[in-house]
Amino acid sequence: MKVGIPKGLLYYKYYPFIETFFTELGAEIIVSPDTNKNILDDGVKYCVDDACVPVKIFHGHVISLKDKCDMIFIPRIMELEKHESICPKFCGLTEMITNDIPNLPLVLGEPIYGATKQGLKKWALSTGSTITKSRVKINKALELAIDAQKNYIIKLCKKEYEFKVALVGHFYNIYDNFINMNLVEKLNKLGIGVITEESVNEAQINLSVSKLFKKPFWTFAKNSYGFSTYLCENNQVDGIIYISSFSCGIDSVVIELIKDRVNDFPLLILKIDEHTGEAGFDTRLEAFSDMLERRCTEYENNLS
Amino acid sequence: MKITFPNLGNSIFAAKAIFDGLGIEYVMPTPSNNRALELGAFSSPEEICLPYKIMLGNYIESIERGADTVIITGSCGPCRYGEYCELQMNMMKTLGHNLEFIVIDNPGSIGKKEFMARINRLVSTSDKSSSKKVRVALNAYKIIKMIDEIERKARYKVGFEINKGECKSILNRCKSEALDCKTDIEMLKHFKKYMDIINNVGINLDKKPIKIAIIGEIYTILEPFSNLYIEDKLMDYGVSTYRGLTPSWWIKDAVLSPLKLNSLKLRSASKEYLPLYIGGHARECIGEAILAKKKGFDGAIQLYPVGCMPEIVSHAILPNISKDKDFPIMTLILDEMTGEAGFVTRLEAFLDLIERKSEDVLFGN
Repeated sequence: MKVGIPKGLLYYKYYPFIETFFTELGAEIIVSPDTNKNILDDGVKYCVDDACVPVKIFHGHVISLKDKCDMIFIPRIMELEKHESICPKFCGLTEMITNDIPNLPLVLGEPIYGATKQGLKKWALSTGSTITKSRVKINKALELAIDAQKNYIIKLCKKEYEFKVALVGHFYNIYDNFINMNLVEKLNKLGIGVITEESVNEAQINLSVSKLFKKPFWTFAKNSYGFSTYLCENNQVDGIIYISSFSCGIDSVVIELIKDRVNDFPLLILKIDEHTGEAGFDTRLEAFSDMLERRCTEYENNLS
Repeated sequence: MKITFPNLGNSIFAAKAIFDGLGIEYVMPTPSNNRALELGAFSSPEEICLPYKIMLGNYIESIERGADTVIITGSCGPCRYGEYCELQMNMMKTLGHNLEFIVIDNPGSIGKKEFMARINRLVSTSDKSSSKKVRVALNAYKIIKMIDEIERKARYKVGFEINKGECKSILNRCKSEALDCKTDIEMLKHFKKYMDIINNVGINLDKKPIKIAIIGEIYTILEPFSNLYIEDKLMDYGVSTYRGLTPSWWIKDAVLSPLKLNSLKLRSASKEYLPLYIGGHARECIGEAILAKKKGFDGAIQLYPVGCMPEIVSHAILPNISKDKDFPIMTLILDEMTGEAGFVTRLEAFLDLIERKSEDVLFGN
């Protein structure tokens, strides 16, 4: 039994869970290759025009897998925390894929209610039963998968750099090095280290979010907003870089909220889409790094 | 306190009736227009959806006429509409307007106490007795139901009418005269009168007009300005239209949804293609398309603003429904740049396509 796992969207955050679960069930897993030009082109061809780049890329990954496996897993996550939601496109991901792409193998696209253990269990039973009949095996696989996810720590910043910026955005934009054109590496070359949202804990995020009139109901929005404003207000970073995909509905709101909160704190918004030219991207990064330097020297001059 | 509210199709009549009945001072929003859109788009984030921009323009125009409090409804996702209030509050502050917001949010997520406090802030300025307040609320519900019904009949009968243009002129007269009513009871009487008029419009059942369902994102299908008056245009062509989503439907759906008794037909119709609620009105859009086919409509037009997240999902599903059920569906995406000429051309092409599909259908009258 071969299960295809597209390397797109939330794979970047939850791959320990996904891979452990299917391996423990006894299935052979096939992960699609890193995003490349072909995958992007295929995705653009099949997907609805109005969708954002990450969703198009996900389509591309599914296409690259569809002839190589018996079933394809689609992370249709409905919620990650109680009373919160995530982007509607995730909730309807299975429908988008099955309607956009013809001749698919069996699709494992059951909704995942990740906020509670029962929710996960329900998903695990319905999905696992297509691979194995043994409920014991499924439960064990789920436990192991949850553990694997808990023990998994992502860290992008390995060394100390002259400047530190908060890198904000969706996982699939930050960790997909094709679509963000090696952003982290480029920043490191310019002497800028990055901090991602894993570095702050939930209490800190909630503290920052509580100053809003209405708590954002998207889990990603809450984290991005809480993380960046917390670091900014506690002077832990020199600037904020927001990497956002064009026409992302959530980002259009969060960016405005962050802008409103941080006032004249350095904030660079990088928009990515399927046409992004690398040269312009580099220029903006260089300009931002120059600005950080100048700001730093000016600050020192003011002190003396 | 001078209250205002954004335009949203027929719901302004209910709002007017409530404030008239309670004796609360208010500013009626000017009907959405190009100036409002320009003002709104100027101060909006560029990637936010069209309804946000028009609503912001509505506020600014109402402030010019003395409003100092805005009342809007909220929601708790996953659609962006729920975040409007926060962004708009910040924006109004940045623009230097001292505008108070009363956000009527879902009591489940803000707590019953906070919900009642917000309602009280609104109602406490009225000196009417509580029984009167309840009566006003009931009247407002009757009003919204009636105007939706009148509109539904007018839009459907237009294809069968004997005197061309009668339905449209009745509907327009009904709406513009309703704005002159002084109290909620007067408005109720006014709509009753027009209900009789619309019921007595002469129709010729031998006609076989093109029938089209309007589906899609709720704001853009309810607010005629945002969809470039598509329903009025179709009326001029003598095309019967039907739109399932109305303010009265919304109220009924919101009240029944905690009991899971809401829109049963829509849910069972959409089960095959979209079995879950994914936010916004994507599921309703799919359900409406399938129900329209069952009811014998000739086609459907989906409307949504650029970047609307839930409707992008339904946009991906609709072509398959169209293929499976042999049912023409056209998607029109709206933003502040929409050129009217291109829009009309697409509309006419779609009507031509439907007409050619069934040869015995005559175009309009």
